Amino acid sequence: MKVSGYLLFVTLTILLFGCEKSDNAAPFSNSSTGVGGSLAKFTIVGNYIYAVSSHYLYTVDISDPAHPVTTGQHLLNFDMETIYPYKNRLFIGSRTGLYIYSIDTASAPRLIGEAKHGRSCDPVVANDSVSYSTLKGSSVCGPATSGLYIYDVKDLNNPVLKKTIPINEPIGLGMADSALYVCCAGEGLKVYCISNAYDPVERPSLPGADFIDVIPYNNILIGWVSDGIILYDISNRLHPIFIKKIAN
Amino acid sequence: MHLKRIILLIAPVVLLLSCWKIKEKNNSSAKVWGYKPVYGTETFAKNILYTPVAQPVISGGNIYAYQNYIFQIEPGFGIHVIDNHIPSAATRIGFITVKGCSQVSIKDDKIYTNSYDDLVVLDFSNLNNLREYSRLKGVFTEYRFGSPISQPPLRGYFECPDYSKFVVGWVKDSVYQTCFKN
Repeated sequence: MKVSGYLLFVTLTILLFGCEKSDNAAPFSNSSTGVGGSLAKFTIVGNYIYAVSSHYLYTVDISDPAHPVTTGQHLLNFDMETIYPYKNRLFIGSRTGLYIYSIDTASAPRLIGEAKHGRSCDPVVANDSVSYSTLKGSSVCGPATSGLYIYDVKDLNNPVLKKTIPINEPIGLGMADSALYVCCAGEGLKVYCISNAYDPVERPSLPGADFIDVIPYNNILIGWVSDGIILYDISNRLHPIFIKKIAN
Repeated sequence: MHLKRIILLIAPVVLLLSCWKIKEKNNSSAKVWGYKPVYGTETFAKNILYTPVAQPVISGGNIYAYQNYIFQIEPGFGIHVIDNHIPSAATRIGFITVKGCSQVSIKDDKIYTNSYDDLVVLDFSNLNNLREYSRLKGVFTEYRFGSPISQPPLRGYFECPDYSKFVVGWVKDSVYQTCFKN
């Protein structure tokens, strides 16, 4: 009993230290391609631009920017909302589920996995092993339970729902190393430690602004709020420090 | 007695008929205060222009980070440019007019955005000489009607636009209750 208590203490301490670790490996450096928010419908990967509209995934070859060439217009049967690139994959959030496309053949994305859920709005961020979606059930988006949905995507063909965390009105979200930032409209920005990817631990949130979407960019967190843009220093990922608000 | 019964029978019918008439009248001729589309020629609608003066944000849209700049879509009208070289002094410095736009992405100093259903590439290598670099017409088929400029900025009644023309803005006017934005 005593031993297991000690082990528990040590484990928790290690986990917490894991959270505190300020990883200097920035999510994006000064690369030649920029970074969009989780609500974007456009994204560039390599020499291609991928764009979603309600029913289509468009692919355009931009290897020669003076002469862009369309290589595909893929009709899909669901209400697509957002597109998020990670390595050779596209994570597409729709009103009916999460869809994962392979872009191993960059000119022709191919559907390789999906996780259906009740009707709702659904932006997504992801990496090799996990994807985070926010579902917002509402009159416009559908009746699904609002919250943060966490999927194990190690097997891309078969995403597994690991956990849901109820949140009233989640919208955009962003991920930087051990931190996940979730925009919660009038409730501010929630900050989670994701050292344990499938079991996020909530940290003190940032109240006081109506957050819609965020972009972690090097050591700056760019927040789109209803009345402007807010910048935070996230050198310490879990302790954003206010820098500046650019009012509308 | 007999007459009273007939009146009782006819009265509801007359009442119902009057309801039907009122409804029809509303649909055909009643005007309300709402938004009316302003149309422009294709050349005017698709003209790209950089103005090195900060513009107020009416209805902020998607954000995008590229090197030391932040971009924010003004849905339907263009892209705000924010200088973020020194984050504590970050400020809006200009506006790129791209009517019908809703999305933005950037690679190698080229801005990729949409103007209605066209893909437009802008050369960003010299901000003060920002210009259209190339254009792929009609590629984003669904953006033509789904463009944010194809609906008025606020909720309420509006005159349904003629999609064969280019909507370049909206004005408040007395309009038929043809369309409604939630």
